Amino acid sequence: MHNLETILLFKDALYGSLLIAIACSVLGVYVVFRRIVFVGAAMAQLSSAGIALALFLTGIGLTLGAVTQPLTMSLLMTLAGAVFFGLGGGRPRIPPDATIGVTYVVAAAAGILLISKAATGEAHDMFLQGNILGITVHDMWVLLGVALPVLLVHLIFYKEFLFVSFDRETARTLGYNVTFWNLFLYVTLGLVIAFAMQFAGVMLVFNFLVLPAVTGMLVARNMRGTFIVAVLSALIAAVIGFSLSVPFDLPTGPAMIACSGALVLCGWMTRLVQRR
Amino acid sequence: MTALVTFDRVTLGYGHRKILTDLSFDIPEGDFLGVVGPNGAGKTTILRAILGSLEPMAGTVRLKPGLRFGYVPQRDQVDYNFPLKVIDVVMMGRYDRIGLGRRPAGRDRALAQAALEHVGIPHLAEHQLAALSGGQRQRSLIARALVGEPDVLVLDEPTNGMDLVSTTQILGLVRELHERDHLTVLMVSHALNEVANYVERIALTLQGGFRIGTVDEIMNEKTLTAMYGIPVEVTNDDGHRIVVARRHAQPVGAHRHA
Repeated sequence: MHNLETILLFKDALYGSLLIAIACSVLGVYVVFRRIVFVGAAMAQLSSAGIALALFLTGIGLTLGAVTQPLTMSLLMTLAGAVFFGLGGGRPRIPPDATIGVTYVVAAAAGILLISKAATGEAHDMFLQGNILGITVHDMWVLLGVALPVLLVHLIFYKEFLFVSFDRETARTLGYNVTFWNLFLYVTLGLVIAFAMQFAGVMLVFNFLVLPAVTGMLVARNMRGTFIVAVLSALIAAVIGFSLSVPFDLPTGPAMIACSGALVLCGWMTRLVQRR
Repeated sequence: MTALVTFDRVTLGYGHRKILTDLSFDIPEGDFLGVVGPNGAGKTTILRAILGSLEPMAGTVRLKPGLRFGYVPQRDQVDYNFPLKVIDVVMMGRYDRIGLGRRPAGRDRALAQAALEHVGIPHLAEHQLAALSGGQRQRSLIARALVGEPDVLVLDEPTNGMDLVSTTQILGLVRELHERDHLTVLMVSHALNEVANYVERIALTLQGGFRIGTVDEIMNEKTLTAMYGIPVEVTNDDGHRIVVARRHAQPVGAHRHA
């Protein structure tokens, strides 16, 4: 009972986590099936570099209104990454995975360097772990304001996103503007990552983008089932991780990730049983 | 016969690099054309120009207004990682007709089922595409191309990586679709021996060279020796043409490729 009261104290943080879990896990299905898992990681790092840049600029007294707000800078960096990767990411000369690797490591290093010189003195591991318990009721509404339209777009244009992901050449011959739909998918991904990063940190965002979709892939036999299992496993991981972290004084993000990992393991065992 | 596609002095390439120059030919309604050549010789380039995904560097590619293509991609262009049922994949062929943001209706499903019957695999509708054999996957992709009611069926290397039985069955099916439904077919392949016995005309692309004509016009020793640059023999075995290049054959002309 005491534990429940403690958890309810952070109910806005819980609701916020659930929104992040739902939005990331839905988009994560495309991330995993399209084999762009590390694009998600690179975009999350770009987002954290944006936050660090905003804090650094503020620290040295260079404030340009909304532009130097962490959210704005994070959004700009992530959307720039979304456009870059959505358009092929320097494909002609450099292998795609190398481009992703360069972006990831440079963005991560830039974030750490900038934050180390930021006057606010925030620890860089906050970018890694986030501060999910710090989500306020206002933050929750902001997250809802982003997640809801993105999810709605994905519900309405499911057929289009699926087609260009599954077989882009045939989609092109049927008149689909594949570049536009790819870019659209990456922009929605960038939006979700940028907002989720404000609270969840690189590790948790990456977790919700990948692990629930992997669980869905292991358990379900069709696309609808994959989405349902991914969302449910993300919600279960968020709720259980959150519920364990508050009373036991554990870091919330890693607790959720551990639960996601356990669910992937369950999914893998389910798959083994299904095959027998 | 109405020309569905017309190439008028077309030069094709990428960036500043020209692959094929001064191409002029028609694809008339009811044609069964095989575009044949080794990898890198430009057959996919021609295909991309026809499908509109590559702009010519010079000349014009004209399509009959409202022309619809039913495209069968190379099998490895499709991502079998997606857990999709065959019927759902076939319905994709109608996505442009269904419209943006709208879901397939019962009629689309019925047409997809009919397309599967047309290619001889109605019983596989509810199976996972990834679980099928190479030949069955190719039939599913042909069904998807047909369900959009195309004017031209376009196949890109339809028998790539298939065994002899599957290859014969798939090429037989395509030939049957051409004869039974009077469908115009454009088939790209690197295997001259396979294609030559099914198509009516051949467009042969070799490094920088291009020749188009009936099977008789192309499948003779004089033309093929000139095109390939090595002595080539064409034998006719009960109506089946077989092209043979002798072991240790030495180049005879300017054309040669590794």
